[in-house]
Amino acid sequence: MLKYILQRVALALAVAVVLSFVTFLLLNFATDPAYAIAGEDAEPEVVEQIRKTYGFDRPVLVRYAEWAGGVLRGDFGESYYWNKPVAELVADRAPVTLLLAVMSLSVTVVIALPLGIVAALNPNSALDRMALGIAVSAQAVPNFWLGLIMIILFAVQWRLLPVSGDATLMHFVLPSIVLGASSVPAVMRLTRTGMLDVMESDYIRTARAKGFRGAALVRRHALRNALLPVISVLAVQLGAKFSGSVITETIFAINGLGRLALESILGSDIPTVQILIFLFAIVFVAMNLLADILNAALDPRLRIA
Amino acid sequence: MKAYTCLAATAATLAVMAAGTAEAGAADDTMRVAFAEEILNLDYNYTTKREYIILSDLIDEGLFDYDPDSNEYIPSVATGYTYLDPTTIEVTLRDGVTFHDGSALTAEDVAYTYNFVISEPSEAQAKGTISRWLKEVEVIDAGTVRFHMLEEYPLAVRDMANRVQLRKAGTYDADQAAMATSHVGLGPYRVVSFEPGKEVVLQAYDGYFADSPKQPVAIGNIVIRNIPDLGTQQAELMSGGIDWMFKMSRDVAEAMGASPTVDHVVSTDLRIGFLILDAFGHTDAEGPLTNVTVRRAMNHAINRPEIAEFLMGGGAQPVYAACHPAQFGCDQSVARYEYDPEKARALMAEAGYADGFPLELWSYRDKPIAEAVVANLSDIGIDVSLRHVKLASLNEARANRDIEAYFGTWGSGGTPDSAAILRVHFNDTSDRNMSNNPEVTELVLAAEVTTDQAERKRLYSEALSIIADQAYWVPMVSYAQNFLVNAELDFPVYADGLPRLYRASWK
Repeated sequence: MLKYILQRVALALAVAVVLSFVTFLLLNFATDPAYAIAGEDAEPEVVEQIRKTYGFDRPVLVRYAEWAGGVLRGDFGESYYWNKPVAELVADRAPVTLLLAVMSLSVTVVIALPLGIVAALNPNSALDRMALGIAVSAQAVPNFWLGLIMIILFAVQWRLLPVSGDATLMHFVLPSIVLGASSVPAVMRLTRTGMLDVMESDYIRTARAKGFRGAALVRRHALRNALLPVISVLAVQLGAKFSGSVITETIFAINGLGRLALESILGSDIPTVQILIFLFAIVFVAMNLLADILNAALDPRLRIA
Repeated sequence: MKAYTCLAATAATLAVMAAGTAEAGAADDTMRVAFAEEILNLDYNYTTKREYIILSDLIDEGLFDYDPDSNEYIPSVATGYTYLDPTTIEVTLRDGVTFHDGSALTAEDVAYTYNFVISEPSEAQAKGTISRWLKEVEVIDAGTVRFHMLEEYPLAVRDMANRVQLRKAGTYDADQAAMATSHVGLGPYRVVSFEPGKEVVLQAYDGYFADSPKQPVAIGNIVIRNIPDLGTQQAELMSGGIDWMFKMSRDVAEAMGASPTVDHVVSTDLRIGFLILDAFGHTDAEGPLTNVTVRRAMNHAINRPEIAEFLMGGGAQPVYAACHPAQFGCDQSVARYEYDPEKARALMAEAGYADGFPLELWSYRDKPIAEAVVANLSDIGIDVSLRHVKLASLNEARANRDIEAYFGTWGSGGTPDSAAILRVHFNDTSDRNMSNNPEVTELVLAAEVTTDQAERKRLYSEALSIIADQAYWVPMVSYAQNFLVNAELDFPVYADGLPRLYRASWK
């Protein structure tokens, strides 16, 4: 198991290094960061001053080598855009995104699992159709649209929740629902499929013969096996939410890593983009690894294999 | 029944908690302002961009101030200036001006600020502008400093008003970023707290000098929030979360302004929109844009009045010279190419392009205007493909001389002088100069090394006449600024379009 984990970690690092190099080249070739920092009406003298200040007039490969050397020494560099150490910037923002990711995943679980179970226990019924309808709708609605509609209803019309910001837990309610809704279809369908398979298996028939019925049957016998693939998906979704909340964080003015990534890309803030891509790649692989470990813990057959 | 009780309790809890969130308005004498652009640095000497100008206006002072009503630079921290000779300006300072920490402003502070900005180690973005003309600032006595210039420069007082904000002596010695997050300025508001990219909280400074042209300052507190999405800003305005926002399109502003709780306020702006054509032939030495008749045809093809009225609105006007009509030296008697598609088509035929030609038009903002231009040019047979990109991409392509025509805009940093737009577009070192006529460059630069205003006017007039005769540009329209404000707020606007938040007051 340890060897497997080490292999996966090495793979994640390799992916992150390749990504960082490609990102560095693309950002430098696609745009001149000096213009992005200076803004629309900056005079050429000002742009030139910025270019000298940040060393953009030196060859790209030299700058990449310097950056990579710094990372190996634990120095992640200084953000051009924010004028502060990138490590500090990421450390400030990560807890906000982590909170949003966990809350939105909770929303997904709270909606998708019961819907999937109800749909599976009543196949081809009105309930099943309704659950599928909800799932399809959630999949079809774009994040930005749902976000604005939720703001209009809950913040402007009824004034129940704040429009934007991240000062209190209340500020996270709407964005969590918006971000969580996008994962509902995948998790709900997987739960439904898993439950349908399990409910037709021999051991469930045996359990029924032993007198188990209803919630007890589902909770004690069916759910544990039906949720195995769901757990993998949830772990991957957590990774996706950690790195993929750009639109939601922007709409709700949440100062997390997603908004930081967007601002850094728009501002050609190469050191910050580099570290974020590195971090997102690591988180993604780590979440996949976590899914495997959780599956092994839940299913003794996988441990033996 | 139990379920309904739970639901009702949850709703009540949510309502109570939401009520705890900030409500904008006169009740707490706090004006809440939204910027889409992040505020990352409080020190304007190290920044550019309009949002930083707005913030700096609140927390900083330069030596002079610009009066948009009289179009002149008026005393502020300085009480006046005298040219001792064409390259030496003596500035007298006002007594009783104090920094936000209570310490008095001295002549040493003024000299230190300028001398540091132009010094070798300085990384100030103001350096690019100031080091062009300033050699040194000398302290004469407690209330007088002397500016020694490298050459005559008519915009020196403009730079003293707009570009350099005064700092205490020694501020940057240990750390050039000293004022980036912990600000001590001279302005009407002091910084109470600052979270980069999130929020700046300001409070009226009770020691602010009474004779400032910014007085009277009416509102006690200002909170600037960074809200990147304009839709979210609108929702905040409707729900009372903010009192002021800007940079939205005209149609959105008009729709929002119909609400009884929101006022739509419009001002003119010094920004103008124009097409710059590759008249020199950087992209194609024999291309159609090197033909002056084609360029004149393109000028006649653009329906400026309708673009100004229907797409811009709010006092926007057609523009025919390569500058804003309100700027010093912007001669309006230059050749005018009125909207006349028939004449444009005739000129195209005369130039040998009766069947038109393919043209790639670049743009980076105001897509509806760029699309109107495409329609106008297509109308005279030009096969235009619009390439709408990010500003940084356009800048890159232009630097590489890959652009044959682009829709550009220029705000002149709010400077009411043609120098602020002509130098950057017709200097021979600028890639924005796509006509590369040395005569125009010479005239434009000559107007920046004399303080004789009549001579400057003559030089600009001559340069602008050549630009118009040769149709190097297609000047189009002046801009308007749309603001949305809480209906309880009185927010005056000015001809240069710069929002002066310190002028706001509660009705």
